[in-house]
Amino acid sequence: MTGRILTQKGNFRRVDPPTVGRVIMLMVKNLIKCYGDLRVFHDVSFHVSSREIVGIIGPNGSGKTTLIQCIAGLLPSDAGEIRVDGSPLSPEGRKVALFLMPDGVLPWSEQCVGQLIAFFREMYGVSGEQARDVIRHFELNPVLDRALVRLSKGYRRRVLLALALLTPQPVLALDEPFDGLDLRQSLSVMAFLREVARGGRGLLVAIHQLADAARICDRLVLLGAGRVVGLGTLKEVRDQARLGAKASLEDVFLALT
Amino acid sequence: MRLRRFVALLSHESREILLARSLWLMAALMSMIVGYGFIQAVDLFSEASRAGLENRELARSLAVLDGVLVPTFGSLYVGITLLFPFVAIRALGHDKQSGALALALQLPVTTTEIVAAKAFAIGLAWLVAVVPAVGAVLIWRSVGGHIGAGELANLLLGHALYAWAVAGMSMLAAAIAETPSTAAIVALGFTLGFWVLDFAAASGVQEPLASLTPLSLTAGLRPFEHGVFSLPHALGMLTAGAALLMAAREWLPMYRSLRQKAVRLGIVALLALVGVTLAGGARVYRDVREDRHNSFNPSDEAALRQMRRGLVITVRLSPDDSRRKEFDENVLAKLRRLVPHFMVRYEARQVVIAGTQGDERYGLNTYDYAGRQTESRSTSPREILPILHELAGVKVSPVTVPDYPGHPLVANVHAWGWLFYVILPIGAALASSWTRRVHIRFTQAKEAL
Repeated sequence: MTGRILTQKGNFRRVDPPTVGRVIMLMVKNLIKCYGDLRVFHDVSFHVSSREIVGIIGPNGSGKTTLIQCIAGLLPSDAGEIRVDGSPLSPEGRKVALFLMPDGVLPWSEQCVGQLIAFFREMYGVSGEQARDVIRHFELNPVLDRALVRLSKGYRRRVLLALALLTPQPVLALDEPFDGLDLRQSLSVMAFLREVARGGRGLLVAIHQLADAARICDRLVLLGAGRVVGLGTLKEVRDQARLGAKASLEDVFLALT
Repeated sequence: MRLRRFVALLSHESREILLARSLWLMAALMSMIVGYGFIQAVDLFSEASRAGLENRELARSLAVLDGVLVPTFGSLYVGITLLFPFVAIRALGHDKQSGALALALQLPVTTTEIVAAKAFAIGLAWLVAVVPAVGAVLIWRSVGGHIGAGELANLLLGHALYAWAVAGMSMLAAAIAETPSTAAIVALGFTLGFWVLDFAAASGVQEPLASLTPLSLTAGLRPFEHGVFSLPHALGMLTAGAALLMAAREWLPMYRSLRQKAVRLGIVALLALVGVTLAGGARVYRDVREDRHNSFNPSDEAALRQMRRGLVITVRLSPDDSRRKEFDENVLAKLRRLVPHFMVRYEARQVVIAGTQGDERYGLNTYDYAGRQTESRSTSPREILPILHELAGVKVSPVTVPDYPGHPLVANVHAWGWLFYVILPIGAALASSWTRRVHIRFTQAKEAL
């Protein structure tokens, strides 16, 4: 799968995925976010490479959503920087490199699903074939002429994921992408996301279901008490938690947070 | 590519507003309000016309603009003031609440384009809102009523500019407020504030409130209702609406801190102030009334335009004195539009009843021009114009102007009540459901392709 990058001038540039190894696409450096005296997170640093899926995990209230929104430029951060291709990127320029599908949104809910997909197609110049591929994969054909507001939670989630997957940015961020999906649907979406990552994009996902995170993420950013308390592959975070090879992500999570 | 995306955004925002139930509810209510206003206005105009048909002199005072158009569009004003903000707020507030704004801001379009597309969609909503008023005009024509095209166009322009400014105000309220309901309260607060300013202007308050009274949006609409095309007012409202939309645009980006947003809002406010001040200098006025009610005789006007050495009139009439209102409307308002450097000083604050102890100079207005001074108690242009010409040292002979015949008409439009109270509201309800069905069909067709 080849990707397309939205340039600063607002045009799309076709890019081929790196043929050898992974390239760092997004670098988060020393990001800080406070609400008055309340420190949400402090000195958060990690990176997302092409062809990999990075999961942000942490207990409720650990700042996963705030972090991913700060990275996407949907919230102001107090310090730190985001680098793309090695250069710092201002918050207003983030949409060139990254698209975030937030959690708990119901956008343009009176419009039909087909119309929303057509709107994203027109916005990003997506081919009909790619759109049909996404529609087929998320089994959206039966609901194309229904308004988003009249769909079940599972369908809504699938529509939002479909819209997110029509975007061309090199990094795709998803907040709780499996919420509202049953096991079969979750596994199917994971397979699709894996395929997307193989195509060259970097994926950043905030997940609270540890089992899902363990299944899909190549690397993990474990947040606890506003700091990164674990970072790396499952094996690496196991080592950081000084746990054996049989320890699950749940064990690591409990040990580090 | 960029244009194609913007067109896609325009059609997306238009769909959003046409699918909103609040739009069609507003349309239904607007129909009833405007219909009631129109039927009442025609009743009153017909009552006056009965006498006017028998008396030629009386007929000359029967202007359709004052008798039918302004009251009908006055009902539109009420609807635009009280209902339209809810529709305009929805265009942005709903996006904020549903999370759509977070997606929209990530689309490959600028924030300016997003705000422009929303303003365009709100413009469509205004077109829907104005349908009953246009219907009223057509009914008036169909019963044989006279319509002055210039008067109507000028009035429509005034209302469009007013709606533009209300839309800007609503968008800013929606941008700042967390929820649409809070935004509605903010917008209502603005409206009440404007009404306070209007009341203050009518009751002649003192500084500093007096200098704020021209900032009311209703004050901006007034010249158009009086049949005057006023470029300063038009540019002022255009600037105000644009500045409010610009302020909304500056507030939207989520990566900005509250302080950054406040600073940008301050800069926009400053730019708006400069813009409105500059607009005030564009002294272009046209009396579009067929009865030339806002004009002096052309010879008088030509002479007054030559009075470039600074005319100062000191008015000693209190704001609640009926003579002051008459003087303001019949003389001062016209002089403001004609004399290049004109200033009015108001000195009296209270009415002094004749025969009681008080200011003996009450009612005595002073005219200063080029070092010469004269005084008069008259408030009639017939006596004041010769005074001004004498001060300027010119002799003016009035030219003959064709008499305005008036357009009296006795008509009964009660039967049209069905249209405004039943058919149009049902039409609005059907349109609400129809837009959804068409939307679905369009989607099916598009996907089939």
